[in-house]
Amino acid sequence: MVDSYLGIFGLLSDAGPVVLFVLFVLLSFSIVSWAIIAYKFTYVRKSLSESRAFLDYFFEIYNVDKAFSESEKYRKGSLPRVFRSGYVEYHALGDKVDIRQLRVRIARAVKREANAESKRLSSLIPFLATVGNTAPFIGLFGTVWGIMTSFHNIGKAQSASLAAVAPGISEALIATAAGLAAAIPAVMAYNYFTHQISIIERDLEEFSPEFVAAFINEP
Amino acid sequence: MEKGQKLGYAEKKFSLWLVAAALIHALVIVLAIYLQILDANRLVKPKIVSVSIVSLPGSGGSSELSPKGGSQAAPAPSPEAPHPAGSSKSVTVKEALPEVEPVTPKKEPKPAKVKEHVPEAAPVPPKKVAVEPLPVNAKPKAVDKPADISKALERLKQTVDKKTASTSPTSAGSLNNALARLQQKVKSEGGPASTGSGSGKGSSYGGKSGAGKGYGGGGPSAPYQAQIASIIMQNWDFSKMMLKNSYGMEVYVRINILADGTIKQIVFDKKAPSEYLNISVKKALEKSSPLPALPKQEAAGEVWIGFVFTPEGIEKK
Repeated sequence: MVDSYLGIFGLLSDAGPVVLFVLFVLLSFSIVSWAIIAYKFTYVRKSLSESRAFLDYFFEIYNVDKAFSESEKYRKGSLPRVFRSGYVEYHALGDKVDIRQLRVRIARAVKREANAESKRLSSLIPFLATVGNTAPFIGLFGTVWGIMTSFHNIGKAQSASLAAVAPGISEALIATAAGLAAAIPAVMAYNYFTHQISIIERDLEEFSPEFVAAFINEP
Repeated sequence: MEKGQKLGYAEKKFSLWLVAAALIHALVIVLAIYLQILDANRLVKPKIVSVSIVSLPGSGGSSELSPKGGSQAAPAPSPEAPHPAGSSKSVTVKEALPEVEPVTPKKEPKPAKVKEHVPEAAPVPPKKVAVEPLPVNAKPKAVDKPADISKALERLKQTVDKKTASTSPTSAGSLNNALARLQQKVKSEGGPASTGSGSGKGSSYGGKSGAGKGYGGGGPSAPYQAQIASIIMQNWDFSKMMLKNSYGMEVYVRINILADGTIKQIVFDKKAPSEYLNISVKKALEKSSPLPALPKQEAAGEVWIGFVFTPEGIEKK
């Protein structure tokens, strides 16, 4: 009676160990996916908004010292970070090297930081792709296994009535539903983040030479 | 050093999100379970149920023969439902399903209703069985005036006597024919029921303890049980395709049969979540009344017989 009250959740009490394991894996995938989605969403949004605000300020004053002090306010922006790394390199070298070497060294420092920023932005994102790709198949595996077991039991019971067949199949299909429930948000989030990260990377690529030029041409 | 700190901060933040995601998942699952239970409860709640809901008074009680005076083991009807006279002292009344609406006093006085002696599965117009007060030995508990009751009983007795006297010989012949046909059917279908193992198509579930004389399955009255199960099955208009989910669909029902085969009372001990199944069972029982008269050895009293209705049919429990 309790089982009938619990509906599909009641069916899980009769599920086999393989189906339960599949459901556990999918639940774990879903939890981690949502944690990544929430974490990355805040990170990427912050990075984008701070980068835009810093760029506006940078092109407004075009002074590296002032821009550096302003960039301290934007600790999570990608472009301010890249700018700070170039500024640190520029001040570290000072008058020790000629202008050609200075340009090369600053460009290298900026490039290195841009790469690091790109890695930071895209970390954990591949997990979303993995969940999006594999969760439906894992769910399908659970369903196939559950239906196999169900048919085996039906054969044992020697009854092909709908009442004998339906609960087993319904129980098995929960695994596919769980797989899709884990995969759909993961795929959507993956597409969103790759798009946002590509925008930031394009900004990094475009504005890094501008930063280098600003350091070299500084009066 | 600074990088390490940044990494630690990022990890800490991600761990927080992880915990939050786990909590949200747990919340969603709990909410989904709660909604399922809520939905199931909503389905179970009957609109208007006109049968009394009484739990089994004890092990083996439901299948025991109850003499007219009422016995200790005989199940007691609920306060709303009619019950045998004199049995109110020895039984306790319990409501198995509290959500059932109490029967209003409007339905109680219908003394003119007398069951005809046609034990056929032929289309008999559905009659109210349990909700109506019994013609002979029942009185509604809600009525307080004993003088009125005795008068009403007298009137009922007279009506029954008239009806019995006016029964034509042709109907008696058809009764015999029907009985013979049913006996044949029982012999062909209900063979295992009389072997003593209780595996017949319809048998009682009340005699689990094996205590007491009764229809506990495989007893001397097993053919009779198989016979009435067959009749009820024929009158059961039910399609399991109409059920969304057949899981947990069981209706435990007891019927009180008088010596002449009339179903005096229907008691739902456990209802299925589907109202469709519950109502179809009730209608089938109403349609099947009156059943064949009780076998000679039990003809003196009345008998309680329990059935379990599932979407697959009537089962033995």
